[in-house]
Amino acid sequence: MKGLVVDNRLLNDKYGLMCIESPAFVENAKPGQFLMLKTQLHDYLYDPLLRRPLGICDVNLKRGTFSLLYMIVGKGTKLLSNIGKDTIISFSDPLGTPFDLTMDKKVAVIGGGVGIAPMIFLTKTLYENNSVDVFYGGAEEKDILLTHIFERYSSNMKISTNDGSVGKKGFITDLVDNIDSYDKIYACGPKPMLKAAFELVKDRNNVDFEVSLEERMACGVGACLGCIIYINDEKTGQDKQVRCCLEGPVFDGKQIIWDTVCKEQL
Amino acid sequence: MNNPLVTEICGVMFNNPLIMASGTFGYGLEYSELIDLNKIGGISVKGISLNEVKGNPMPRIMETHAGMLNAIGLQNVGVEKFIREKLPHIKKYNTRIIANFWGKTIEEYVKVAEILDKEDVDMLEMNISCPNIKEGGIAFGTDPKMTFEVVSEVRKTVINKPLIVKLSPNVSNIGIFGRSVEDAGADAVSAINTLIGMSININTRKPFLSNVTGGLSGPAIKPVAVKMVYDLYRTISIPIIGIGGIMNYKDVLEFYLAGAKAIQIGTANFVDPEIAPAIVNDLENYCNENKITNISQLSGGLLI
Repeated sequence: MKGLVVDNRLLNDKYGLMCIESPAFVENAKPGQFLMLKTQLHDYLYDPLLRRPLGICDVNLKRGTFSLLYMIVGKGTKLLSNIGKDTIISFSDPLGTPFDLTMDKKVAVIGGGVGIAPMIFLTKTLYENNSVDVFYGGAEEKDILLTHIFERYSSNMKISTNDGSVGKKGFITDLVDNIDSYDKIYACGPKPMLKAAFELVKDRNNVDFEVSLEERMACGVGACLGCIIYINDEKTGQDKQVRCCLEGPVFDGKQIIWDTVCKEQL
Repeated sequence: MNNPLVTEICGVMFNNPLIMASGTFGYGLEYSELIDLNKIGGISVKGISLNEVKGNPMPRIMETHAGMLNAIGLQNVGVEKFIREKLPHIKKYNTRIIANFWGKTIEEYVKVAEILDKEDVDMLEMNISCPNIKEGGIAFGTDPKMTFEVVSEVRKTVINKPLIVKLSPNVSNIGIFGRSVEDAGADAVSAINTLIGMSININTRKPFLSNVTGGLSGPAIKPVAVKMVYDLYRTISIPIIGIGGIMNYKDVLEFYLAGAKAIQIGTANFVDPEIAPAIVNDLENYCNENKITNISQLSGGLLI
């Protein structure tokens, strides 16, 4: 489908935030879903070739708009940052399996780096029916963005950075105490952060754990088999291959076989 | 007005010459909600082997300039599950089904082919050119004697369906392989499979793919593919199905002029799932506007 860019701005030299108008997209979007977005605007130009998978950061049902938070890492996201207001861009429908939303529970949302993108939409939605604590980590000050939204839609918010420039110095997972007081933990961010979050909950049977994973993707619709995740299938007790784009990107974090999740990034 | 895109390959009629390349379209079902599968000529399904195959460890893909590298490793559900769980669903659509298959040994090739030959598929496509698995695949496709041997053996078992052999570009002279395959009794060739390539992360000094090397596809390889189709056209007389970086109707026409009688769309399906029906429309318009009654008239129409 296509949409109109109503705003696209750099938050700093590392991150950008794009707002797109598309009522049809917004209608179907759920927290945790993503889209595949074409960063090349011209016909007959094929570099970069593939669409970029980006988590849905926020939606505004009234205005029919949604936003995407992106980190500028390569040529695709660089092009994305140069797209101006009023440009028509093309993208897929909302893709993937969304988060399983709790009702009347106490939950913690842990986000790290650009992994906070889907957590804004999630936190806002969860806050309607749950008590939500937000834990937000980054490597440096530049990684800590849009905190006013998290503040508004949470009971407590804690921030950490690896260099101590904002919040507590260290890893965000170290700030999550009293883990048993939570019914569920939601997490999205760098793989080491997710693995650390898993360590917090792995022996707690009463604490559910859902994570959103990111992998390189070519198609985003389950065909290329480039984004395989290994999980332990509860029913059969056996290892199983699933696709991050289709069965994910949201998974039961306790089923994931963490040692197999992209070793290069762990 | 007659449909100028109706295509006949080895006695099989296609609504149009656009076949979805193996490995880029799953079992068709992945795209069934995104596009009208009745609009595309055919689907070559993800390469089927005798038993289920898990494929290579991650990471498996990496984008490169105007292309991508993949080393999926032929992950597939195996022939039995394909027949039981996938085939009945894709048969509902008015599109031709090509069963792409492979084996680690000649015996495996023969066994899978024997099973598929009796099933309700339109054609068989034999993959002797996958660069991403240790045994089988490209080992058969880069030695003309072995190519002849494995295709001959499979030919003996495949008695009901036309047999296509998918060729590797990772050879010094593709014409020799085309001839081996023709001599062994194949009904058609498809060319090209991916070109072996590699990409290195300079920060970690490690390859981006766990398999170290991968198959390069996408528009980056199109000129190589067109040239190889041209080489094959001058060497063999069985039909050639052109593959390699096709992104639009002009690319299709190039392959036709070089000698193709049908084409496959691969990586473009990843770039835009709706690309195949769009190319079909564009091709139809081109033929009508240029008074071409059937697209096959363009095949081999290169002027030098």
